[in-house]
Amino acid sequence: MWAEIDQILRQATRQIADHVASFLPGVLVALVLILATVVAAALVRALLGRALRGLEFDRHADHLGLAVLLGWPSSTTSPSQTLTRVVYWTVVVLGLLLSLTALNATIPSRFALSVFQYLPNLLAALMILVVGAIAARFLSRSVLIGAVNMQIRSARLLSLAVRWLVLLIAVAMALDHLSIGRNVLLLAFGILFGGIVLAAALAVGLGARDAVSRALERQLQEPPRGDDEVNHV
Amino acid sequence: MPSTGSNSSVQEADVPDGGAGVDVIVGLTSHNDVGTVGAVVRALQDGLARYAASSAVRFVLADAGSTDGTREAVREAVGPSALVEVESGRGAELGEPPYHGQHGREAALRAIIETTHRLGARACTVIDARLQSVEPEWIDRLLVPVLADGFDYVSPYYARPVAEGAITKGIVYPMFRALYGVRLRQPAAGEFGCSGRLAAHYLEQDFWDAEFAPVGIDLWLAVAAACGEFRSCEAVLGTRGAVSRGAPTDLSTTLKQVVGSLFADLERRVDVWQRVRGSRAIPIRGAVGGMDPQAPTVNVDGLMESFRLGYRELREIWTWVLPPRSIVELRTLTETAAERFRFDDRLWAGIVYDFAVGYSLRVMPRDHLLRSLTPLYSGWLASFVLQMEGASLQGIEERVERVCLAFESEKRHLISRWRWPERLR
Repeated sequence: MWAEIDQILRQATRQIADHVASFLPGVLVALVLILATVVAAALVRALLGRALRGLEFDRHADHLGLAVLLGWPSSTTSPSQTLTRVVYWTVVVLGLLLSLTALNATIPSRFALSVFQYLPNLLAALMILVVGAIAARFLSRSVLIGAVNMQIRSARLLSLAVRWLVLLIAVAMALDHLSIGRNVLLLAFGILFGGIVLAAALAVGLGARDAVSRALERQLQEPPRGDDEVNHV
Repeated sequence: MPSTGSNSSVQEADVPDGGAGVDVIVGLTSHNDVGTVGAVVRALQDGLARYAASSAVRFVLADAGSTDGTREAVREAVGPSALVEVESGRGAELGEPPYHGQHGREAALRAIIETTHRLGARACTVIDARLQSVEPEWIDRLLVPVLADGFDYVSPYYARPVAEGAITKGIVYPMFRALYGVRLRQPAAGEFGCSGRLAAHYLEQDFWDAEFAPVGIDLWLAVAAACGEFRSCEAVLGTRGAVSRGAPTDLSTTLKQVVGSLFADLERRVDVWQRVRGSRAIPIRGAVGGMDPQAPTVNVDGLMESFRLGYRELREIWTWVLPPRSIVELRTLTETAAERFRFDDRLWAGIVYDFAVGYSLRVMPRDHLLRSLTPLYSGWLASFVLQMEGASLQGIEERVERVCLAFESEKRHLISRWRWPERLR
């Protein structure tokens, strides 16, 4: 009987040793991958930081309106610092996921695969946000300058309204692309825009009917203001 | 149909008599001007009979697709043997209208100048068919200096009230003069006279298809004459009365078009204007005195309010191109009472130059930059009108001269900012 027990124990020990022996190379590879990832991420951060400084990214980001997207200047970090941090941690996370697959475990591998499959959606959402931020900046500035030149006193308010409207649409599109709260988002936007349009229509129709009527009459009947009668060229 | 050999959108009609032995080309640009074109042609014919009787003349009509019988009126007035018709493209009418109201003006001028060159004419003059103030003496003023006195370029000198042509008085003339060293008071005017030699030079220029060509071509022709080895003079033409073509463009659009074309040319001729120092006076044909133009009404309070609103809302945008010192001076100006509201000439010159540098560096979309200049211009115009209240033409000229001297004095800053823009950041 003791012989049988000894045999079983030996067999179990051998199996464990075999499993450990087959698992260890994967662990080693994973550790090497993590180390390489950290080094690569640090390298990418340094190179990207230098390139962004050379390209005067902070200034351009400010001009393009990306500063809003990157939470600057309200936070203490500059847009280039934010971007380098995002890139650094993206590389680290991707490296960690890659290292999980080296362990040859089913669940971590599936998880890593699904994250990699989701990555294009993330990038597309990011692109939508960037384009939205640029468009919001451009359109709000167009409205501000145009309204000031038309001597509209609430020019700033109009400009801000346009800016946040475009940004909201961009955020909604990005979230929709990520399949986050699709139905809730659709409903919320429907209610929000419907409400804004209804409120504006009621405000104009009930509260400012006479003012709108007078303004339209002025537009249709009156010649241009005194300063526009002059040939400036 | 002979080819013009150009890539402009011009279709040319047959040239009567092969155009042999033509001395003078009288170019007419038109677009639905049937109400004025007959009187313009008659005045010019009278002038030609009086002042250029011995010259063989051809009228060149560059019409931008008139539908009101303008062409027929010109054919009837001029006669088929003396008329060359060139059809200029109507341009992009879907875009914003040009401040002068004529789409495809660059194609029209190109066609007239090409015809001048091809027929070997000694002189050419271009007149807008919508003008009401054309007199026979205009031939004496615009063509005779070329035919008899050896001038290559004749620029009109109109008598204009204080606020009339204020963009020219406050920006175009002072900057043109400081940059290119020639004192042409109205370089963006639509009428001019030129020699056959200058016409050939014009055709060699690369600006015909440039972005601002439809609105900047008149100014660029004056610049090309000033930058080359050509003799220029001015011709006193009295007041300029013209029928409006459609609704006038708003001030912001006009400013964008005129100043944009000036800044665009600045980039093209860096090697010329950075070497020019000072400016030289040029001869004037005709008597300047005795003109008493009627002043149009200007809403000075509205202009000052526009400036103050602009400072409040656009200051952040201005800081991208203007140094802090200018912003501080502008703030002081916004707090000044109307009776003491004075825009300093040096400050104004610096602002215009800083905007030119900003335009070149593309610190923001150019449309935004140029339109954001409008409140500043309104402030300058209000100050100018307040200072010139009741002033004579001589008084206005003296005041504009001081503005020009400020532009000449500040030019060194423009050059340094242009060469080393990073120092300003």
